[in-house]
Amino acid sequence: MTLAVGAPKRRGWRGPRFGLAIPSMIWYALFFVAPIAFIVIYSFGTKDVNQRVPVDLSSLSTRNYGEVFDETFFRTFRATMRIAITATLLCILIGLPVAYFAAFKVSEKWRAIILALVVVPSFTSFLIRTVAWRIPLAPNGQFSKFLVEIGLLGDRGIQLLQTPTAVQLAIVYNYLGFMILPLFVALDRIDVRMREASKDLGAGRVATFLGVTLPLAGPGIVAGVLLTFIPMCGDYVTATVLGGADGNMIGAMVASQFISAQNWPLGSAMAVLMIGAVLSALVVGALIVWVLPRLARVLTPVLESWRRNAQNRLEAGRGSHAAPSNKKVRDVPRSLMSVWCAIVLVFLFIPIGLVVLHSFNGGASFTIWTGSPSTKWWGELFDGASTWMMLLRFVAIVVAGLLIRRVLLARTAIARRSLNWVGPGSFVLAVVVNGLVTDWYRNIFDFAGVGDAIRNSFIAALGATVIAVVLGGLSGIALARRPGAWTKGFMLVVFLILVTPEVMDAIALAGWFKNVADVPLLGTPFSSGIGPFSSGINKLWVGQSLYASAVVTLIVRARLAGLDESLEEAAADLGATPARAFRQITLPLISSALVAGGLLSFTLCLDNAVISSLISEAGSTTFPVALLGATKSTIKPFWGVGAVILFALTMLALWFVAVVLRRSGSSSSEIAATLAGN
Amino acid sequence: MNNKNQLRILAPHSFRDKLSRRAVLKLGGAAAGLAVVAVACGGDDSSGGDSGGEGGGASGGTQAAGDWSRVINPASGTLAMYTWGDYNDPELVGAQAESTLGVSMKVDYYGSNEELITKLASAGGASGFDIVVPTGPYIPQMIEKGLIEKFDKSLLPNMSNVDPLYLGQAWDPSNDYSVCKNWGTTGFFYDKTQITTSPTDWQGYLDSCMGEASGNCSVLDTGPNMVGVWLWANGYSWNTEDSAVLDQAEAFLVDEFAQHIKAFDSYPSTALAEGAYTMSMAWNGDARQAYSRISEAGGTPENWVWALGGPTTELWMDNYCIAAGSPNAEAAHAWINWLLVPEISIQDLTYHGYHSGMKTIDKLVQELVPDLEKADMIFFTDEQVATMETQVINSAIDRHVDIFSKMKAKAGA
Repeated sequence: MTLAVGAPKRRGWRGPRFGLAIPSMIWYALFFVAPIAFIVIYSFGTKDVNQRVPVDLSSLSTRNYGEVFDETFFRTFRATMRIAITATLLCILIGLPVAYFAAFKVSEKWRAIILALVVVPSFTSFLIRTVAWRIPLAPNGQFSKFLVEIGLLGDRGIQLLQTPTAVQLAIVYNYLGFMILPLFVALDRIDVRMREASKDLGAGRVATFLGVTLPLAGPGIVAGVLLTFIPMCGDYVTATVLGGADGNMIGAMVASQFISAQNWPLGSAMAVLMIGAVLSALVVGALIVWVLPRLARVLTPVLESWRRNAQNRLEAGRGSHAAPSNKKVRDVPRSLMSVWCAIVLVFLFIPIGLVVLHSFNGGASFTIWTGSPSTKWWGELFDGASTWMMLLRFVAIVVAGLLIRRVLLARTAIARRSLNWVGPGSFVLAVVVNGLVTDWYRNIFDFAGVGDAIRNSFIAALGATVIAVVLGGLSGIALARRPGAWTKGFMLVVFLILVTPEVMDAIALAGWFKNVADVPLLGTPFSSGIGPFSSGINKLWVGQSLYASAVVTLIVRARLAGLDESLEEAAADLGATPARAFRQITLPLISSALVAGGLLSFTLCLDNAVISSLISEAGSTTFPVALLGATKSTIKPFWGVGAVILFALTMLALWFVAVVLRRSGSSSSEIAATLAGN
Repeated sequence: MNNKNQLRILAPHSFRDKLSRRAVLKLGGAAAGLAVVAVACGGDDSSGGDSGGEGGGASGGTQAAGDWSRVINPASGTLAMYTWGDYNDPELVGAQAESTLGVSMKVDYYGSNEELITKLASAGGASGFDIVVPTGPYIPQMIEKGLIEKFDKSLLPNMSNVDPLYLGQAWDPSNDYSVCKNWGTTGFFYDKTQITTSPTDWQGYLDSCMGEASGNCSVLDTGPNMVGVWLWANGYSWNTEDSAVLDQAEAFLVDEFAQHIKAFDSYPSTALAEGAYTMSMAWNGDARQAYSRISEAGGTPENWVWALGGPTTELWMDNYCIAAGSPNAEAAHAWINWLLVPEISIQDLTYHGYHSGMKTIDKLVQELVPDLEKADMIFFTDEQVATMETQVINSAIDRHVDIFSKMKAKAGA
């Protein structure tokens, strides 16, 4: 370690190139590769329901694969690909103008507002939003009746419920945000000077967009496609909730083989082929991405000369340089784009409005509006007296904290800066005290386990997010800074994690934990839990962290790949230890990626239903798991109430994170700025 | 039955008050400790119960109300149950269980017996659940895999309240592992303004689905039920293992029938009210609830007709069992035993509308909930029960599931 000090060659202290990725490697080997390998082996067995694991491995054959190539399977397969590809293209078409508008056409303030409005819907439960689409689509619903009344539709009203169109609509809706964000980030990073230079050099608006903006946004589009297309292919929930017989998707079909038909060998063969198909679709996509710029390079001179000719003719006709008219034209697309942006934002909020509205539904079913609002289900869920007591304690502690801070500021010489922690600190104290004084979640919502489910959701999602950020951050750094022969293999595993249908992971892990639990020491967290965390919660952490850590890995890698390594090298040259260089240089550099990855992980984990529903135990049921259970029969309106509460709590937590980040954010960027050149 | 009230009130509010008064009066004397009030109930006289005969009509049940066993075993701790969706009165798994028994409950839901088995089996006895509710024919499989535990019958004295007709079933002849929770049957439900042929049996259902209801009908999301409909309509036994017959079923269901199906939906009541289907295969309790959903949605329930499948249809029975490795088995027994108290059992029944297998249930209902709506969708006549067939787990099940998977793929074309 001390070698580094003053030594001109720094390679010595780096250890194996993949050193930082070792934790992820162990994690993935233990909880992804090994369990999935078993499931892949099952695909060569035969179904035997008399065994605990309903697979007979005595005679292995490829019979199941043959069965999958049956015509009927392929039909569902084609339908799924059609829905997913259409939805991805629609997401780009709908999302690109919004991202473009937010990145280039509005003020800083509006940009923040638009982005917040794009992100906020995804903090409402994915499942309840999907269920909420049933409301406007129902033929007997208010919306349908209204359309019939004003004569827009025939007698039978909207005939979309339980059709592929409904699935298509909800899938576009569910993934649109995941497309807009990466697009925005990519567009936002484009140096405005590039676009200006393009225009200065005589390129028109369209040429600038096609020749400069779009190629530079390429990585963002790729990221968006990965974040939307892959989960769409494996989507199981949307098709189950909204699709009828026609809207069946491959994810649902694989799940039904595992869960209802108990035909694990067939389900596993389907899943393996599906992974293969999604990977090859991505390869085709990658080829297109590789070919397009080269094609563009060939075509640009042709297009450019054509454009010049046209412009020359135009200018010859007008006789002068018509710069002022340029301004007038520019405003038309801008206002069009703002209208489009507004429409998209309203679209994103439709189901959320419906969830809030229907939480005040007095009837017995969440989706069926009985005509007049009622607080019946809120009353069922909330125990008034203890809610008020909790709020009172909460406010009292926070106010007391702020008062103390104020007094200290006024009466003592302590710097304002060093008292900044008092506000967030008292917030945390209030949470802790409330937790200690009462079993608050149980006292407040003592109905149908909603309170427990919300609490479990937070504990599971927070733990999984911490794991994902640590693992993903470390391996992201390793991938970007220490690439080598190991990179390809590691990336393959990361992609496999992203592509594997959730239900396959779920089955693999559920059985795997049982084996791991028997291993001394290593198995303890999964047999008897650790500390206050039950074995069920620990299993959820593992299950939810897989996908999330893969996402964080990609985000951190992308972030670092775009940054010069010279800062870290400079720090090392100046004698910083690796630990110090990491803390003071690398960490601040990737902090935005970690925050973004953390938020994304948290959203994904908070919404995770499929893996969680198979690996959770009694007592570790999360909100989506409970809600997924409820979708199997009638969904009561109190699930809407629960979703609204979960949403409110999530927003509160995010607000807290934002406050803390603002406090620490300035200092970390200061450090970076100081070291960067001044 | 009773159409004078508004249809939306299937479980009248007055019942709750009446019930709790009665329960308090009756339980008052028994609640202290493990006092067995009246286990003696005339032995196992098989004439003690009737087969769910309709209110007042059938003979049988002559026991005075006081002859019931109403043992309450106080328990403590948290109890976890894994069951079918919306299958218990929330009070009975919530506040009421806490105040009467001292147990707090956590309930999770599954959508099929296979899902239950998958979850229990993969956890290998560490699922943390105490009570599970499998359907009868799946019980032998679960016993063999070690997924459920033997009862301690000394903790279940109220089992004597169950009609012997619903005890000693083929899957668990001496009720060592299971006791009847509810039983029910399958039929179909249609909008008579859209389906004009007045179908009354399974053949009629199949024909309508391929005719007037084509593209607007739903079937239960379970293979055995779907294949069963064809077998019943064609006069075969549900449990036939004759592969030639099953081939015929497959040929019809996959090639001719599947493309007419709009959805595979085991609980169609909500979607029916939303207007998604004009005809649905449904379990009796769910179809009964559809009436109140339809009026909540502003529809006209009078337009909807329920028909019990014929000439033969199913009789299913869901059973309370104790999961292997149950962390709190004593409380689990106490809760199951509590649900076998007649008043509690009837309270649960009015919530979901499934027969709970209590002795002389018609008298109980007359006393406790005389204005129970649509009671003919809960209690069936002896003649009707005679047309019902119980599923046996045999080699045919695999075929049923297989045929059903193909139907699903075909319907999605």
